[in-house]
Amino acid sequence: MRFTIFQESRKGSRKTNQDRIAYTYSRDTLLLVVADGMGGHAGGEIAAQIAARLFIERFQQEAKPILKNPLKFLQDTMLRAHAALGSYANQFSMLETPRTTCVACIVQAGHAYWCHVGDSRLYLFRQGGLIGATKDHSKVQYLVDQGIIGAGEVAAHPDRNKIFSCLGGLVDPVIDLSRRTPLRNGDVLVLCTDGLWSVMDQHEISTWLTSTPILTTAPQMMREGEKRGGPEGDNLSAIVVRWGPETLTDEQTTTVTESLGIGDFETQIERTLTLTDRKGTQRDLTDDEIEHAIEEIQSTIQKYRR
Amino acid sequence: MPVTNQALAGGYQLLNYRVDRQISRGGFSIVYRAFDEEGVPVAIKEYLPSSLVLRTEGDIVRASSAENLTSFRYGMKCFFEEGRALAKINHPNVVRVLNFFRANETVYMVMRYERGRTLQQHIQMRQDQMSERLVRHVFMHLLNGLREVHTHKLLHLDIKPANIYLRTDGSPVLLDFGAARQTLTSARPKLAPMYTPGFAAPEQYREPDRLGPWTDVYGVGASMFACLAAFAPQAADARVSEDHLVSAKKIWAGQYSDNILEVIDWCLRLDPLERPQSVFALQKAIRDIPPIKRKLGFFGSLKKMLFSEIGA
Repeated sequence: MRFTIFQESRKGSRKTNQDRIAYTYSRDTLLLVVADGMGGHAGGEIAAQIAARLFIERFQQEAKPILKNPLKFLQDTMLRAHAALGSYANQFSMLETPRTTCVACIVQAGHAYWCHVGDSRLYLFRQGGLIGATKDHSKVQYLVDQGIIGAGEVAAHPDRNKIFSCLGGLVDPVIDLSRRTPLRNGDVLVLCTDGLWSVMDQHEISTWLTSTPILTTAPQMMREGEKRGGPEGDNLSAIVVRWGPETLTDEQTTTVTESLGIGDFETQIERTLTLTDRKGTQRDLTDDEIEHAIEEIQSTIQKYRR
Repeated sequence: MPVTNQALAGGYQLLNYRVDRQISRGGFSIVYRAFDEEGVPVAIKEYLPSSLVLRTEGDIVRASSAENLTSFRYGMKCFFEEGRALAKINHPNVVRVLNFFRANETVYMVMRYERGRTLQQHIQMRQDQMSERLVRHVFMHLLNGLREVHTHKLLHLDIKPANIYLRTDGSPVLLDFGAARQTLTSARPKLAPMYTPGFAAPEQYREPDRLGPWTDVYGVGASMFACLAAFAPQAADARVSEDHLVSAKKIWAGQYSDNILEVIDWCLRLDPLERPQSVFALQKAIRDIPPIKRKLGFFGSLKKMLFSEIGA
């Protein structure tokens, strides 16, 4: 498989980031997952984290090196994540089950499959046009479907945050599955949270990511989105995949999965951590951090010298 | 075209140390023998992951691409973990870290230089089977070191004959804490899993949340097995789907005491809960084995080792 991939999560103006995004791939299968935790306190962040991790872990157990049935995998994992949130709440006697939205996508053998719960979205663009998308499990989307309001009124509607399906809710989630969708080189997949789509419509997202190297324009798009959120801005996150070899720039940005051994996975989990993992994920160690680590080790050696 | 990293040349002055020669080379590092200012030999481990960085000449390490620089720095964290783990431990059966520094755009760990050879080399070079006395002697002392490691809330996670060094006096030293992890902290650092098939416990493949002292106990059992068999037991992930491992008690019945064979089988149980749950429990079980007289006693083996050529 050859593709270019970008992912970023920004806090917006919130104190914590309750969005979680992650991707992982084997030689022959790619998984993308975006979750947007809901509710106050730590619950939302935990919920999104649990959902994203469960997807990654199950994928690594089952994609050997391909999934037998990608749609079934997506559906099962959503249900398991829902159950896992319930048992988490039980285990820690939480008054309220942590809840999250989730959208996940598998690309395997040149075909995309996706699945979602709530209002985190997937867009599939071909040559700038939208050829596939999720439909939010939200009250406003229902109003649009009924012809009560227009699509343009969604972003500003007072009830735009009300969703009727999520993982960890009191009722079982409504899970929507896509069809098996063939991909062509140059197709762009975007998975994002409402923090992005509420400040930028699909046409604009498509403009940012069409005919330009995504590794250059996607970060600009995210910065612009955060700026537009203003002082009340929500967390915003996106994973962008441009399928096929990168042809828009000379730089070597294409991920080539054939270099992975059979049974190997490459994984990136992006999060702005506020409570879970004090070490964070893969990122550059700064010079200061290196110096600090060395000082710490040297002082420990001195301390334990007899 | 495979490109390999150039080792530092003999005579190279690295901070206060003069490099003598390369001792060994792994996927993530090169180990040199060097001498400090007083002429005392030391072992210096240079962080140099072969897949990420290049040094075709000279001494400065350069990442082979921008992406690799990120991975290079990330891997450096793991190297720091090893340094942190070892710095705290001062025990005769655990390799001692003497210094840790940065140079040539990478990092170095200076360790006490030990004379002898690895248990792996010992197993491979022997003609006859290893005596029960020697096995017991090596592992009882090694477990003292491992107990110290666990006391510091660390797990070694890569116990195997290649990481057990036998000094010329027969005492073992636990080496290579590249896989060691800080445990019992609320958040586990997410490092790439590292394990050696045959010696890694089943939970290392799939259930990182179930790692514990019993995980190192599996590695100890597999290493003891390898001492008797001269090969590693079947890999644990394969055993989980189809267990072909024949129990030590069946293979070596009559050649070793039932007790030690039972201990090995106990350590090699697939279910972590069925193994000795602590090093202490394991030591107790080994101590309870009644010593048996063999033709070649402990001093005989020791003498043999002393006179055998020292592998480096």
